[in-house]
Amino acid sequence: MRIRNLELTVGVFILAGVLALTVLALRVAGLTPGSTGSTYSVHAYFDNVAGLTSRAKVTMSGVTIGQVTAIEFDKNRYSARVDMAIDSDVDTLPADSTASILTAGLLGEKYVGISVGGEEDLLVDGSEIYDTQSALVLEELIGRFLLNTVSKED
Amino acid sequence: MIRKGPNSTMTDVSDYIVDLQGVTFRRGQRVIFDGVDIRIPRGKVTGIMGPSGCGKTTLLRLIGAQLRPESGSIWVNGRNIPELGREQLFAARQDMGMLFQSGALFTDLSVFENVAFPLRVHTELPEDMIRDIVLLKLQAVGLRGARDLMPDELSGGMKRRVALARAIALDPQLMMYDEPFVGQDPISMGVLVRLIRLLNDALGLSSIVVSHDLAETASIADYLYVVGDGQVLGQGTPDELMNSDNPRIRQFMQGEPDGPVPFHFPARDYLQDLIQAEKDA
Amino acid sequence: MSAVDRLVLLGRAGLDTITALGRSGLFLVNVMFGRASFGNGWALLVKQLHSVGVLSLAIIVVSGLFIGMVLALQGYNILVGYGSEQAVGQMVALTLLRELGPVVTALLFAGRAGSALTAEIGLMKATEQLSSMEMIGVDPLKYVIAPRLWAGFISMPLLAMVFCVVGIWGGAMVAVDWLGVYSGSYWTNMQNSVQFVDDVLNGLIKAVVFAFVVTWIAVFQGYDCEPTSEGISRATTRTVVYASLAVLGLDFILTALMF
Repeated sequence: MRIRNLELTVGVFILAGVLALTVLALRVAGLTPGSTGSTYSVHAYFDNVAGLTSRAKVTMSGVTIGQVTAIEFDKNRYSARVDMAIDSDVDTLPADSTASILTAGLLGEKYVGISVGGEEDLLVDGSEIYDTQSALVLEELIGRFLLNTVSKED
Repeated sequence: MIRKGPNSTMTDVSDYIVDLQGVTFRRGQRVIFDGVDIRIPRGKVTGIMGPSGCGKTTLLRLIGAQLRPESGSIWVNGRNIPELGREQLFAARQDMGMLFQSGALFTDLSVFENVAFPLRVHTELPEDMIRDIVLLKLQAVGLRGARDLMPDELSGGMKRRVALARAIALDPQLMMYDEPFVGQDPISMGVLVRLIRLLNDALGLSSIVVSHDLAETASIADYLYVVGDGQVLGQGTPDELMNSDNPRIRQFMQGEPDGPVPFHFPARDYLQDLIQAEKDA
Repeated sequence: MSAVDRLVLLGRAGLDTITALGRSGLFLVNVMFGRASFGNGWALLVKQLHSVGVLSLAIIVVSGLFIGMVLALQGYNILVGYGSEQAVGQMVALTLLRELGPVVTALLFAGRAGSALTAEIGLMKATEQLSSMEMIGVDPLKYVIAPRLWAGFISMPLLAMVFCVVGIWGGAMVAVDWLGVYSGSYWTNMQNSVQFVDDVLNGLIKAVVFAFVVTWIAVFQGYDCEPTSEGISRATTRTVVYASLAVLGLDFILTALMF
């Protein structure tokens, strides 16, 4: 009987550990198994992605509709290619929609925001979003501001 | 399964259960044994005696292969212990029982489980058979009633008796007792003396009793070795040793405080030492 | 003391250290690849999992809770200055998963379970229980040491995971319920920045490595200690000191390799 109680507590302990790992995977890391099945992929070229990471969210009107799957440098176009997986439910995006890299808060996470265009053709699996707006880079902004100030004084 | 080294002369296996030949053992710089020859006759109680710190316990550990000698061979039941591999060694040890000075009971197991321990790990006996054997062994040491107690609920003498029951659980051929009489009151000492003799004769064991308690050891031993300074100083039956001419043996057997074994630890001349102290001050 | 004497002493100390390292390595090999275990190996392991793992659970949960709460509080106070207090969730989660979870668990584990292992094994040695087990023909490496070693390997990573979860939950309690960070951004920011492989799995790998080292040091110090009460107390101290130093040093190396 003593041994049985022991086994029971040890079983509970191991279960708690495994459960903790599962919580970390699902709740903390936001790993959602099998979600890849119901998306379609689009891509876009940006001059500068500065700080955007893979698995960043893709939003529209502030609602997450997908995530970034890959970011790589295209050596022929000298720009960054960003692949995104968009939920299949959201299948009515016009082909001339705009993708911009935005920042949540002043120093927060980078994400991709999509604003709707007006064309009748729709984005489908494998399409490219042509109209893009690169990330706001603080240094460039400050540099431009300083340059303006200096040239005004001249 | 009798293996013989190229240079060793093995005597008839049936006469001697343990045969130490030219055993040398060193601990650091200190020589504990220097080419010692000791033979333990089969079926008898053999006493190994000597002053404290002369390496009596080391001798048992050498036989049990918990220590390895620097040179020499140790034959137990026809097997040269220092040459055995780890695997064979653990098999060989099943033929040996050892009673440690402290009893060395497993503190997290009850008395019953302590005695059952060797049976559980070495045999596939069914539970009711293990129970019968354990009760039999506990009955032999007179502690059948204490089977459900934990070791820390027992007195020192009772612990040693439980340890004895555990040591004989697998019916070993050789029993080794490490200072079995130390720190015992006269009653439990008497009980132990009687038990050692009784078990030896009833179970057909061979026993080695390592002790510096002269009277008790002499009273049960058939044969005695006196060791000291890394040598065997003398051997013989208790009577022979009592009447020995050898001054070192006589000093030990008669319990004289000073003699060949000096009372004083080696030191400078006493007077010199005192004068030196005054100079320093 | 002349310079040569000092050099000799230093050399001897170095040789002693290397010898001890070799001895502990051989010991580990003997424990893990020695004779096959006995039939009741499972029962022995369960017993040790209980004393090493289950009994450490309370201290891990309590410490994890407080560390998570403190992290949230400190993080909030700093981040609020930049107007990014909604990032407190990701800060708590990443700090716990990458560093504090494995490291603090390992340090607590060394203090709670490691020292107990050393003292227990040392006492078994001092009371000749290990010797008598050998004389019964049972290998104490297999019967006493191996179950404790495995119990440590298995328990500590699990404890580290529990520590992280409790810490993140404690952080949420402080940040969301007390400081008023919007609960959605606490969790969403966390989910967006925490990567399963990079953060959770790497943290788990750290915990496994630490478990290995801490338990190894603990059982070896117990097995190798001088069998006197003074020797046991020294060995117990050594376990905590060596294990803590090893964990912190290895943490630096692992972090450099992983992140």
